[in-house]
Amino acid sequence: MPYFKTSQEWLDLSVALLEARPSQTRVTAKYSIKPVKPRKAADPSSTSADESSSPSDPKPPRGSLVLKTYDPVSGVALKYRTTKAAEVTRLMYAAMGRLGRAQAGVQDVPEETMQDADAVETPQGEQTPTQQQQQQGAAGGGGGGKKKKKGKK
Amino acid sequence: MASAHLSQDEFFDKLGHLFNHRKGSDHGAIYLTQKRLTYDPSEKSTMAKLFPDLLPNKPLPIIVRATNGKSKRDRSDKDKLSTVVEPHELEAFYARYADVCKAGMGALKPRDKKKSKAKAKKKKATA
Repeated sequence: MPYFKTSQEWLDLSVALLEARPSQTRVTAKYSIKPVKPRKAADPSSTSADESSSPSDPKPPRGSLVLKTYDPVSGVALKYRTTKAAEVTRLMYAAMGRLGRAQAGVQDVPEETMQDADAVETPQGEQTPTQQQQQQGAAGGGGGGKKKKKGKK
Repeated sequence: MASAHLSQDEFFDKLGHLFNHRKGSDHGAIYLTQKRLTYDPSEKSTMAKLFPDLLPNKPLPIIVRATNGKSKRDRSDKDKLSTVVEPHELEAFYARYADVCKAGMGALKPRDKKKSKAKAKKKKATA
C-alpha cells in the first residue's frame, strides 16, 4: 500500500475505515531512527586539508514517523510518513485523537450537521491554513465556505 | 512481562523512559498502537462476540500500547506497555500523549528557521 501525500488525506480515509470496521482496525505510529550512511564520492570539498574535520563529523541519525491504519480482516493498510518535528503534535494530538474518538465510539460533532448551523460555528477538524483563508475570504457570503467543503466530501 | 494495564500516569512515565532510551542510540524504533478495547470476559452474548462492529450503542474504552519493537532473539529486551483510556478521558490523554511524543521524537527534522527567514527576506526584496 502506498503512502499518502498529505496527512489530511490519510486521516480522512482512516476515519472512513474506522467507521466501517471500528472493532478490529488498529492505528499504529512507528517512530524509527536510522543511522545516516556516510557519503564518500559526493563530497568534493573533502580534500586532504578538510579530512581532519569532515569525516569525523557524522550527521545525526535520521528519525521518521510512520502512521498506519490497518484492518487485519480486509487487509487494508493506510500509511503516512513524515520526518518533520513540526508535524508531531498535530498528528499525535489532533489526528490520533480523532481516530481514538472514532475507535471509542464517541460521537464526534458530525460534519453533516454543519450545513444548517449558524455561520458563527467554526468547521470541525483540521484544515490547512490556505483553506481557512479561503473560508475567511468567503465569509462575507455567509456559509459559502461550508458549502464548498460539503461538496468536497 | 508486565501483563496488567498501567495507569495513565505510569504509562506516560514509562513511555518517556522508552523514548529516552532510544535517544542515546542511532537506530531502533518505537511502536505505538491504539485499538478499541472489545475484550470483555463478562460478555455473555454471542451476538456481540461474533459481530463486534454491531454493538457500539455505548462508547467503549480504547487500549493504547507501546513497545520498543524487540522480538525474536532480542525478546528479553522487549518492553511492552499498555493502558486503557476510557471515553471521557480521551481529550486529556491525547494532550499528554502528544506532549510526550513531541519530547521523545528528537531525531526528526526541526523546523528550519534559517531557510524560512531567507525566503521571507527574498520575498520582501522582490516585493
